[in-house]
Amino acid sequence: MKQTLAIAKREITALFYSPIAYVVLGLFSLGTSLIFLGFFRPGDAATLRDTYFWVIWLMIFLVPAISMRLISDEFRNGTIELLMTAPVHDGQVVLGKWLGALGFFAVLLLPLVVFAGVLTATSRPDFGPILSGLIGLILTGGFFLAIGALASASTQNQIISFLLAVGIVSLFTFVTFFLPKTTYVPDDVRQVLNYCNVNAEFDNFNKGVIDWPNLVFYLSGIAFFLFVATQVLQSRRWR
Amino acid sequence: MIEVSHLVKWYGPTLAVGDISFAISRGQIIGFLGPNGAGKSTTLKIITGYLPPTSGQASIDGQNVLTAPEAARARIGYLPEGNPLYPEMRVTEYLDFRGRLFEMPRAQRRQRIEYVVERCGLSAVRQRLVGQLSRGNKQRVGLAQALLHDPPVIILDEPTVGLDPNQVVQFRKLIEELKGQHTVLLSTHILPEVERAADQVIIIAGGRIVAQGTPAELRRQVGGNARLRLEVRAPAPNVERALKQLPGVAAVETSVAEGWCRAEITPRDGDDLREAVGQVAVAGGWPIREISSGGAGLEQFFVQITAAQSQARAVAG
Repeated sequence: MKQTLAIAKREITALFYSPIAYVVLGLFSLGTSLIFLGFFRPGDAATLRDTYFWVIWLMIFLVPAISMRLISDEFRNGTIELLMTAPVHDGQVVLGKWLGALGFFAVLLLPLVVFAGVLTATSRPDFGPILSGLIGLILTGGFFLAIGALASASTQNQIISFLLAVGIVSLFTFVTFFLPKTTYVPDDVRQVLNYCNVNAEFDNFNKGVIDWPNLVFYLSGIAFFLFVATQVLQSRRWR
Repeated sequence: MIEVSHLVKWYGPTLAVGDISFAISRGQIIGFLGPNGAGKSTTLKIITGYLPPTSGQASIDGQNVLTAPEAARARIGYLPEGNPLYPEMRVTEYLDFRGRLFEMPRAQRRQRIEYVVERCGLSAVRQRLVGQLSRGNKQRVGLAQALLHDPPVIILDEPTVGLDPNQVVQFRKLIEELKGQHTVLLSTHILPEVERAADQVIIIAGGRIVAQGTPAELRRQVGGNARLRLEVRAPAPNVERALKQLPGVAAVETSVAEGWCRAEITPRDGDDLREAVGQVAVAGGWPIREISSGGAGLEQFFVQITAAQSQARAVAG
């Protein structure tokens, strides 16, 4: 566990040293601020529900930008050789890197805390949904980052890693959000698609409800993608 | 300390390592010598547990790298080819990270970082970013990292590539100081690098071991090739005739340039003919410009192997 945390700590530091991190930080702050201001009107309910809803869409493109260099960079630099010849299990490498990226992602959410402060200053918001929404966003971020870890374990090329992650994330967002809304999808398929839709899973958190099925979806999804990422990393030894 | 038996590695259809076996005892420095592409790095990557072999076994201090990977890896300090480092970390920060990966307790970590920083001459740059260091200093960081957890086995893959001659000398000295405390496996394609420091030399080419032994043994083994050169002002036929009469001379080749006769003498069985050849020149009353041993026989042997390998590859290609 200590080794995993050492890898996570190094990863956060590395992220803060990379220019990409600041671009992501800037874009995310700008994006969330625009979304917040767009819904911030006098007389409206003091919630962050609409903001959170759109932040998920923003994350589809910005979270893969955090994860794209996660493991691919180690292969490009050759540092993976030192990491994989240290007495550390490949799973610890993947988990540590994912944790580090998640820590960085948590920092990205700071503007949302500021918005909650603005709401408190101007009216009396219900903190339940604001907090459960934040938890949902972190879980969603963790889910996207696990996909990103898999993508970046698969290639040395950061751009391919980014696009691959956006592609897989889109399956759980765009595809499963819009496809069920069409008329020609059979009902049982529609149910499966709905279950796989992150936006729908997040909706409960946004309403202030933290429910087991949603937690299971996120946690099992994260575990699944981190597991596959570990397998991919291991398989690269054999090539 | 390091045991390797019947190691084979195929990269797809390409054979990189073909049946390599050797055993290295504690405290020795072993030179792992071979031309580029001979399979040195691949062998080292298998020993360090980075790559699995296609077949065969490797173990470190009794720990099999395949069945007990973490225990085996914990006993190795490794400086990979190209010395990969994280450019955005500071020297001590990086060493601390490595120490944590090797599960060193905090107090021990601090003490060992101080020690390796001092030992590898990094005191002046300890707070600098690794990415901003000179190549020589980066190499020292790579070595410091390998020494950090005080491993019984240290594996260095081409550690002096890209260093200037002065840095090479310094670095070689550092490595020589490790003798006795650690088992050092040092790969290189430069012979003098290992000829002096190594207790044992393993020469590999084309993925196979072609020669193995102490530098002295190897020199004896290939001694027949250690030629002697004599340059005198005398008629070439006379020189050739006189030299051929010496016992222990296998062949003499002469050439003439600017009035000087140059004779290349091949001794029969590694005998040192310098004295006898000198006497011949003196007896003939020939002014001597040069008399020298044709350098390390090992060097020539190594060059032959390298040439043979690249020829074989040219034919195959």
